[in-house]
Amino acid sequence: MTPDISPTTAVSVENLTKIFKIGMTKKALVAVRDLSFKVNQGEVYGLIGPNGCGKSTTMKIMLGLVKATQGRTAIFGRNSEEVASRNNVGFLPENPYFYKHLSARETLHFYGKLCNMKGSELHDRAEAMLTLTGLTHAADRRVGGYSKGMLQRIGLAQALINEPRLLILDEPTAGVDPVGSRRIRDLILELKQRGATIVVTSHLLEQIQEVCDHVGIMSNGQMVKEGKLEDLISVGNQTEIILEDASPELLEQIRGLINKNDQQTKLVSLGKPRTTLEKLFLESTTQTGDQEPS
Amino acid sequence: MTESITTQKYKAFSVIRIWTLAANTVTQLLRMRILAFLTVFSLIAIAAGFSFPTMSPEQQLKLLKDVSFGSLQIFSIVIAIAATSILIPKDLEDRTLYTILSKPVPRYEYLIGKLLGVLLLIGGGLLIMDLILSAVIWIKQSLIITGQIAALKQEQSATPENVAAIKMIIGKYGLTWGVHAGVFAVFLKASVIAALSLLISSFASSTLFTIVVAFAFTIIGHGQQLLRDWFLHDTLSSGFGKIISGLVVIICPDLKLFDVVDKVITGEIISAVTLASMGGMATLYIVGYTATAYLFFVDKEL
Amino acid sequence: MKHKLLVFALLIAICLSKLPLENSLTATLRRQKLLDTGLDLSMRESLGQMGFAASLGGLRSLIASISYLQSYTAFENLDWGTVDSLMTLTTRLQPTEPTYWEEASWHMAYNAASNYLNNNELRAAIRNKLFRDHVNRGISILDEGLRYLPDNPRLLMKLGDIYRDRKPDPKLAAEAYLNAYDHGAKSFYERMGAYELVKLNDRTSWEKAYAILKRYYDSGARYASIMRDLPILEAKLEIPVEKRVPVPTKAP
Repeated sequence: MTPDISPTTAVSVENLTKIFKIGMTKKALVAVRDLSFKVNQGEVYGLIGPNGCGKSTTMKIMLGLVKATQGRTAIFGRNSEEVASRNNVGFLPENPYFYKHLSARETLHFYGKLCNMKGSELHDRAEAMLTLTGLTHAADRRVGGYSKGMLQRIGLAQALINEPRLLILDEPTAGVDPVGSRRIRDLILELKQRGATIVVTSHLLEQIQEVCDHVGIMSNGQMVKEGKLEDLISVGNQTEIILEDASPELLEQIRGLINKNDQQTKLVSLGKPRTTLEKLFLESTTQTGDQEPS
Repeated sequence: MTESITTQKYKAFSVIRIWTLAANTVTQLLRMRILAFLTVFSLIAIAAGFSFPTMSPEQQLKLLKDVSFGSLQIFSIVIAIAATSILIPKDLEDRTLYTILSKPVPRYEYLIGKLLGVLLLIGGGLLIMDLILSAVIWIKQSLIITGQIAALKQEQSATPENVAAIKMIIGKYGLTWGVHAGVFAVFLKASVIAALSLLISSFASSTLFTIVVAFAFTIIGHGQQLLRDWFLHDTLSSGFGKIISGLVVIICPDLKLFDVVDKVITGEIISAVTLASMGGMATLYIVGYTATAYLFFVDKEL
Repeated sequence: MKHKLLVFALLIAICLSKLPLENSLTATLRRQKLLDTGLDLSMRESLGQMGFAASLGGLRSLIASISYLQSYTAFENLDWGTVDSLMTLTTRLQPTEPTYWEEASWHMAYNAASNYLNNNELRAAIRNKLFRDHVNRGISILDEGLRYLPDNPRLLMKLGDIYRDRKPDPKLAAEAYLNAYDHGAKSFYERMGAYELVKLNDRTSWEKAYAILKRYYDSGARYASIMRDLPILEAKLEIPVEKRVPVPTKAP
């Protein structure tokens, strides 16, 4: 809608400042200071930073839950203060809770109706989301009895119920076991495949690294580093080769090639790569995380 | 609707969304076992109906209605205040409010939905209590009439004239349409109080504060009429007291306007027109308080 | 922003229309007798703080019922002073409820008065004085009730009863009964008025009584009292024999 926004921009944050007035004395607390960034359509943007750096506040402003003191945020060109800007957004808050008296299916129907969905469209979409998040078997159970990981997944399902073009996830894997966490990351990647734009915060940097295209690092309410993940973390002058079933002779030849080829090239390391503890965990556990232990 | 969801046009006011929120509020409150009061009410009505058999028939019926209407009013006011005060802070605390308002739901729809849910619950509860009360009155009344006719027969004076007179007198104190009109008036009063509580909870920082202030306003609201008469007709005094009373008169609802229960109990007739104007007044209050609540809530930082 | 301005405008409109609408609805309800005017300030003392707040809070009828019940207990204990003060409280709380006035006067003029009259522990002169005092108290209760409920047939009927049975005054009794009949009491009370008129000593009363009783006779009523009083009136009024009612051969 606004001319300064290109059609490929999903989220734009411009010169955003948020000052909270706290307590009776109205002491000012600057949560976000002159923050600007853009999220392009179809990319996964990771907003990372220590607790209290302003990530959550920024998200709340993007969703119109909190008003900006200065500057503005827009979603697909619509100012966040307009309710209509939330038409194409799904939001998963940190540690979500839902109405305890509803089952997972009822919860999805509730949120679906709030997005003006109805009838068989809503029904089909809710079933699809239950399947996608692996909650079909628990769909009729009260959400009040759900485990942390299941709550996170029903949270994701409700965020996705209206097939949003933008998904905002606040700490989606916090407090979830590695299997559940893996599942959520897989879901994010799958949604990315389908063309969704995703903004995700986390302080588990390794997980962010796995899914994000773009990363912004916040500290004290300001953006301290921002850019493509590749650019930010690749060590510019190194190359990694990983081989499978390589014979010692081949390795010797490679070593020889390096020494012969160029005076400048140095072999930094050669050895067996280690698996991560996470991979080991995932391979060793059979429990899927879908069921509660009986 | 064959439009895909993503391109669906946004509606600024959606009855479906409000209804969804209201229905959810009703189930939420029901699961809090809020209607257990209905059982208590039935016991009270039955106890009041069948105690004190030595009093005069009219007094027995009047007492039954007094006690039942008393508990009806207490039930509706307590639920109106308590339920309404709990709802918003609970959603905020559980962060369900974030997920709801991050959907395309305007904040006024959220408020209206919550209020409507409380009103539906109170309305439903009162309807059930009306049925219970009507049944008890009717049984009591029939028993009294049968007893009196039997007594007349014993005195050999059961002329049709006398029997009709007894039926008329007892009937006036028994089950009349006025009973339902009275229950409706109780509902209107409770609705106004619920809207007032919603307004208070839209800016209050704690549930307890909301409940205490709402109760205070409920009591003041019953005296608003006195204060208003004084404010409008007393021309002698001026200054601070006048300003304060003027403020109270403007802010407070006149809850006495819905106190027709006293007269209903003794069989007075309320016309449909009067009931309708009472309904109109209640609507005016509810719209006013909800609109003010919106002004507070729209800028609330969540 | 546009929303907010709209809501503000709405609120101003509501605030402006609030007072006039409240006043007009109050007036309507008062006119239809659905709403009493405020409580007498002297009531606050007898009610106590809680009772006062509750009666303001729309539970006035309930409080009246409770004080009525208390007076009933006092009545069972023959504690007449307490009965009187509690019934006064009850009638003040709901002055437009006729049964309360009726019962309050009945307690005084009948129950209390008779109880004192039959109290052998008291000297005869005192018994008679207490009897008269309580009958008079019953009458004054009804008079007060009639100020709130002018021409209420129930109260007039009760007043007639007292003037007939407790403080014989046929003139006042007849007046009360006929007044009650004029305001909706059953026809029985018109005849009761006529029977009282018979007891008086002036021709106008007799003529009035005769007109009433003859009318009932002509329409076929043959109650014992009519058959007793009509011949008396015919004699007093010197009605020609051919126009007199046939005297039954044997007493009913």
